[in-house]
Amino acid sequence: MSEIDIRSIFKTEAKEIIENLESDVVRLEESSEDEKIINRIFRYFHTLKGSSGIAGLTHVYEFSHLLENLLDDVRSGHVEVTDSLIDLIFDSIDWMKGAIFSEDGTEVSENNREKLSSRIYAFTAGGREVITKETDEIKIAREPVESGAKYYNIKAFFKEDIFESGIDPLMIIEDLMSMGRVVSNRVIKKKLPSFESMDPECCYFGWEIVLETESAVTEIKDVFLFVEEENNITIEDETSNYRNKGSEEKLPLEKKIGEIMVDKGILTDKELNEVVTIQDKEGDRIGDIVVKKGYATKDDVNIALIEQERLKKKIELQTVRVDTIKLDNLLNLLGEIVIGQSTLTRIADEIDNEYGDELKRALYGINRTTREFQEQIMSIRMIPIGPTFNQFRRFVRDSAHLLGKEIKLIIEGGETELDKTVIEKIGDPLKHMIRNSIDHGIEPPEERVAAGKNRSGEIILRAYHQEGNVFIEIVDDGRGIDIEKVREKAIHLKYIEPDEEIAREKLLSFLFMPGFSTAEKVGDLSGRGVGMDVVKTNIDSLRGSVEIKSEKGSGSTVKIKLPLTLAIIDSMLVRIGKNRYIIPLLSVVETIRPAKDDIKTIEGKGEVLLYRGEFITLVRLYDVLGIDAEYHNPWEALVVIAESEDRRLGLLIDDMPGQQQIVIKSLDNYITKSRAISGASILGDGTVALIIDIFGLIEELGG
Amino acid sequence: MAKTAAIENKIDDASFSCKKFVSFLIEDETYGISVLKVHEIIAMTEITEVPKTLDYIKGVINLRGKVVPVIDLRLRFKMEERQYDCYTVIIIADTGGRMIGMIVDSVSDVLNIPEEKIQQTVHFSSGIEPDFIESIAYADNNLVIILNVENIVSIEELDKPGNP
Repeated sequence: MSEIDIRSIFKTEAKEIIENLESDVVRLEESSEDEKIINRIFRYFHTLKGSSGIAGLTHVYEFSHLLENLLDDVRSGHVEVTDSLIDLIFDSIDWMKGAIFSEDGTEVSENNREKLSSRIYAFTAGGREVITKETDEIKIAREPVESGAKYYNIKAFFKEDIFESGIDPLMIIEDLMSMGRVVSNRVIKKKLPSFESMDPECCYFGWEIVLETESAVTEIKDVFLFVEEENNITIEDETSNYRNKGSEEKLPLEKKIGEIMVDKGILTDKELNEVVTIQDKEGDRIGDIVVKKGYATKDDVNIALIEQERLKKKIELQTVRVDTIKLDNLLNLLGEIVIGQSTLTRIADEIDNEYGDELKRALYGINRTTREFQEQIMSIRMIPIGPTFNQFRRFVRDSAHLLGKEIKLIIEGGETELDKTVIEKIGDPLKHMIRNSIDHGIEPPEERVAAGKNRSGEIILRAYHQEGNVFIEIVDDGRGIDIEKVREKAIHLKYIEPDEEIAREKLLSFLFMPGFSTAEKVGDLSGRGVGMDVVKTNIDSLRGSVEIKSEKGSGSTVKIKLPLTLAIIDSMLVRIGKNRYIIPLLSVVETIRPAKDDIKTIEGKGEVLLYRGEFITLVRLYDVLGIDAEYHNPWEALVVIAESEDRRLGLLIDDMPGQQQIVIKSLDNYITKSRAISGASILGDGTVALIIDIFGLIEELGG
Repeated sequence: MAKTAAIENKIDDASFSCKKFVSFLIEDETYGISVLKVHEIIAMTEITEVPKTLDYIKGVINLRGKVVPVIDLRLRFKMEERQYDCYTVIIIADTGGRMIGMIVDSVSDVLNIPEEKIQQTVHFSSGIEPDFIESIAYADNNLVIILNVENIVSIEELDKPGNP
């Protein structure tokens, strides 16, 4: 692997770490006592140090080393978490960003690094000396192990590729040995493969160590600090077992081992009973008895032990990093299968005998499997929005400081999962709207106090699932949008007449028009009149929608609605003349054949249909699409009642051949200007059908 | 040493002086497109109409799972439309990763045209926009109009005012 490769790998890794780091430092600012966060930050710097060293970025390596020391002092409580410390950390992160990501910035920032370094020294200098003394004292205290010592059973199973991360398990074990007396030390060789298939660069061993020590559990845990997340490490206090040997407390646990061995077919029930009776009398460990009796080998017992380990601990989350292109390919292939299936279904429909029925039944089974298959693939593509939200913590903090505002960012529903593609594309629009809230929404502290609000403003980022969609809300408790200003501007831009009656929602939706801004002066962050329309275009391209709600004085809420997935949807197939179109099933309310009397023509508004007591617009789809239809009279044709955003439409169609799952294929946007067409799909017979987007259709009719 | 140089020269001659074109017919004219731009040639297939599009875009087709737009070259060249028959084919062109189908009357051959027979400067008076023509060549006693595929399928027109 060349140096360049290592660098680029390091950059990807560093980017991820720094994102987490920034989000955690903001959290630390909010809750300065949280040890978990401090530990995480410490680990991030440690990892950065290690990786930058491997990547050959010595200046980053040295600098992260300083920061690691600084955080170590914070961890041990020698340095307090203060505003200036947080600022220093942020400045340091900024320097590191520059040093890692800019191509030639390293020379220039050397000066900065020295300044930062001396600031770091100023923090650490006080505490350093004291610490070294203290650790010496602890070491001295450790030497004699008194009767007050505790016994810990430490089991460490390392990943096979642990050497690749530059960690030698031996060092960890030596660390442990220095902490006290090793009572027993057993190497677990279960994973050791045959000699031929052994890879000398892999670690196949696990260790079980019983350690007699006076140190606290936390100190033992510290030894494993850098490996505990990825490796299977358990530390148990077994002092009671060693104080009164053979006590009955051991029984429930040991019995389980016996049961596992029975489950695995190592022991029979009869043998187990025998062994348990012996154990009750003699108090030996079950495994030992089993081996003594010759019922099983030591290795079998070890397998059972490991199994027990696995059962006791919740199965660790195993993750694999997969190139997203592979996922996309998998999804495309699945799409082809879905298309193939609908071809088969069509053929089965044409076979008019028992074989046809059999084929249909078989297809029904496959259909179910494919559906499940699809759900699984979709779930792989789904990732939580949390990290995307978290990266705004620093952004909000910095922007607020810059404007002299006090703003708290609250994140809710970070675990909500969205399609990877959606997450990738939602970042920019979110940033823009958060920026709007910071810049225009939240007032300066004095103004807020005068208005009877809390000094510090709140921005809530919230995500949740509802009705097959994902909603993301950006809520602020700022000054809200002045609806009158919006009105003036709309009149000024000639969107509406000066005396026109217009719904509040409609007025607010003008904010998404290009060049529409009510800000009086251009802010440092936003307000140049570009943006909200771009936000809308971005969200439209994800087949989502966005709306604003706002009360003057009490804040605004921007609500974004996004589809769960972008690739496969349930749809209704409709026929108009000889053409077939697809309407997403989510937009369909029902299909009706209207009575002749229900159709009315309203002057200037076109045709309407009386549907469940209300008049809805009747759309002659063949007119909109410029094609020929079989039926021109609504009472002869069918009408699909479709809805989007609480607006309903009646769509005139000839026939409704069925419902099916379709794979969405995007159309290059030069192919059609019609907003009513959002894409295409390939039907079972191989022809292409266009997808009618109800939201776009409403907009097209409205415009 | 001298021998290898001679061979290399020969190879250079072969690869640099000749260009390959797919030739096809519209009316009685022979047109050519560089083989490098042709992805494949398929028989006429069912085309799905698309609303609100340019008049020469006939619609979209299914090319083994890909949705590909199709233009009628006759309409693009402002010629009269003609009933499609068994000779009508769709040439799938690949321009910078974007696929586009072009309907032509019939496809005839792959031509090997020496570079000196290709004439770059062209003055043409017909319905065809000069931008569409890359060069003119003589092959098999025929005049072949070499087309500039990129310009033919250029898509900016959709945004121009006045278009549907």
